[in-house]
Amino acid sequence: MRLAVLSESSADEAAVRVIVGGILGREIRHISIESSLRVRGWPGVKTLLPVIIPRLYYNSDAEALALVVDSDSSTIHQPSHNDATEVGNCRLCDLCNSAEYQLSRLTPVPGKGMLKIAIGLAVPAIEAWYVCLRDTHVNEATWARHLGGEQITYTKNSLKEKIYGTERPSIALETECAVRVANELINDLDRIEELFPNGFSFFARGVRGWI
Amino acid sequence: MIKSVHFKNFKALRDATLPLSRFTLIVGPNGSGKSTAMQALLMAGRPNQYRDAKQFLSADLNQLEKVQVNIEIVWELGALQFTSMSGWLLRLNLASPQGPTYKDKFDRTLDDHNIEHNLHNRLMSFRVFAFEADALSTPIVLSPGLELQSNGLNLAGVLDNLRDSEPERFDELNKELGRWLPEFDRILFETPAQGQRSLMLRTRQGQHWIRATNLSHGTLYALAFLTLSYLPNPPSIVCFEEPERGIHPRLFREIRDAMYRLCYPEDFADKRQPVQVIATTHSPYLLDLYKEHPEEIVISNKDSDGVHFERLAEKPNIEDFLQDAPLGEVWYSGILGGVPTST
Repeated sequence: MRLAVLSESSADEAAVRVIVGGILGREIRHISIESSLRVRGWPGVKTLLPVIIPRLYYNSDAEALALVVDSDSSTIHQPSHNDATEVGNCRLCDLCNSAEYQLSRLTPVPGKGMLKIAIGLAVPAIEAWYVCLRDTHVNEATWARHLGGEQITYTKNSLKEKIYGTERPSIALETECAVRVANELINDLDRIEELFPNGFSFFARGVRGWI
Repeated sequence: MIKSVHFKNFKALRDATLPLSRFTLIVGPNGSGKSTAMQALLMAGRPNQYRDAKQFLSADLNQLEKVQVNIEIVWELGALQFTSMSGWLLRLNLASPQGPTYKDKFDRTLDDHNIEHNLHNRLMSFRVFAFEADALSTPIVLSPGLELQSNGLNLAGVLDNLRDSEPERFDELNKELGRWLPEFDRILFETPAQGQRSLMLRTRQGQHWIRATNLSHGTLYALAFLTLSYLPNPPSIVCFEEPERGIHPRLFREIRDAMYRLCYPEDFADKRQPVQVIATTHSPYLLDLYKEHPEEIVISNKDSDGVHFERLAEKPNIEDFLQDAPLGEVWYSGILGGVPTST
């Protein structure tokens, strides 16, 4: 499968590529324009998605787009959001709505299947996925309690410290660790889906829906 | 490490305290005292080199009979704290004006001259780097102990010495260069005349040698940052004026990494002493990269009372200000201060 990946850094993208390969159980291929795609953080993903979807569909050989963003301090996605008219600042809903709208505007190209999109929300950051198998206290429910005002034992920065050994990893170290840990994660996907039933499980179901 | 610097009557810094961390990024409008603060630190390290009152004072203070200029530095060494003060008494309206009278004061509560000597050396080593492409690409005359100059002069010699004295570091630097600028794979040297060195970069594809004078400015600036971050004995305290200048925004993360490498060598498995780094910027894109560390950001403002410095982390309700927005955009909007004032 020819895959485009969009996330908040090149390190995250490298890990997401591995995770998608693990979920699909098959080799994925880079698309031709992928190396030039880059966004700067969540606002960049949100702003550029309406530009990137048509670009991928009309001007690339991508069959699918995997999109993962950090939740930071925004609302954690809940299944009930799907039926609600007001979902607060849920980034997952925001991106799903945007992607759905952009896909509906594409003019079908003969011989080309519609672009498949899977969207994930890392709560509060992708490092939580990396850490959760070693420390199952790191999960969506815990972060939800934090958002509700409860003291918890980790922060975004402490997750970085745990996984990279520093709060200030270089991009090279971040990428190396992300890929290594992602390769471990794909051996225990069920467990991560349990710990992150909305942000990760939603993403995994989306990816499985491609085949 | 310098914990803070208090400036009294130094140009626009009438009565201002600059808080510092191991890494500090200062943002603010033009003329808000960022470069002046760095100039003051340079003067504190070489107090007897400055003989002209105009080097110290803004135009309005030049009218006074005498002015006391002070630069007070609070140092932190582990759990210990020391204060050193550089003071200049300027007598301005004499018929035959004298040069500034310099006095220093050191908090010698522990009566430890080694510490005083150590801090003096650190201050003496302070460098303000603002790289210039012409200086970076200039062939140099080889000599031992060459240091990178403020504008980047001596780059070829510093790299040549590094290759010979620390080959492992030089190899690591080459690898990192390949990650930053994948079109190149190696730093090479040539001898344009007897005793001289100039540098070249080798292209990954085709193995062509590109002379420094033919490299882009951004490539030279990036190479200078990399070189400093891989030196075994960089200056103890450095300032980078607008490190983003000439660099593609996609390389800002790497520039940040290089500055962090200087500050936190232990995070990069480097056993040398940490460097205290101060950077100034006008780039919202560079600022974005520090959102997770508001304690490292200082905002400078200038109003009718003079210049003020404020640590971003100490602004009340800072998380409410930032929310999901990129830090650079929030700063640009003016909500945080540190922007030019309207007329």
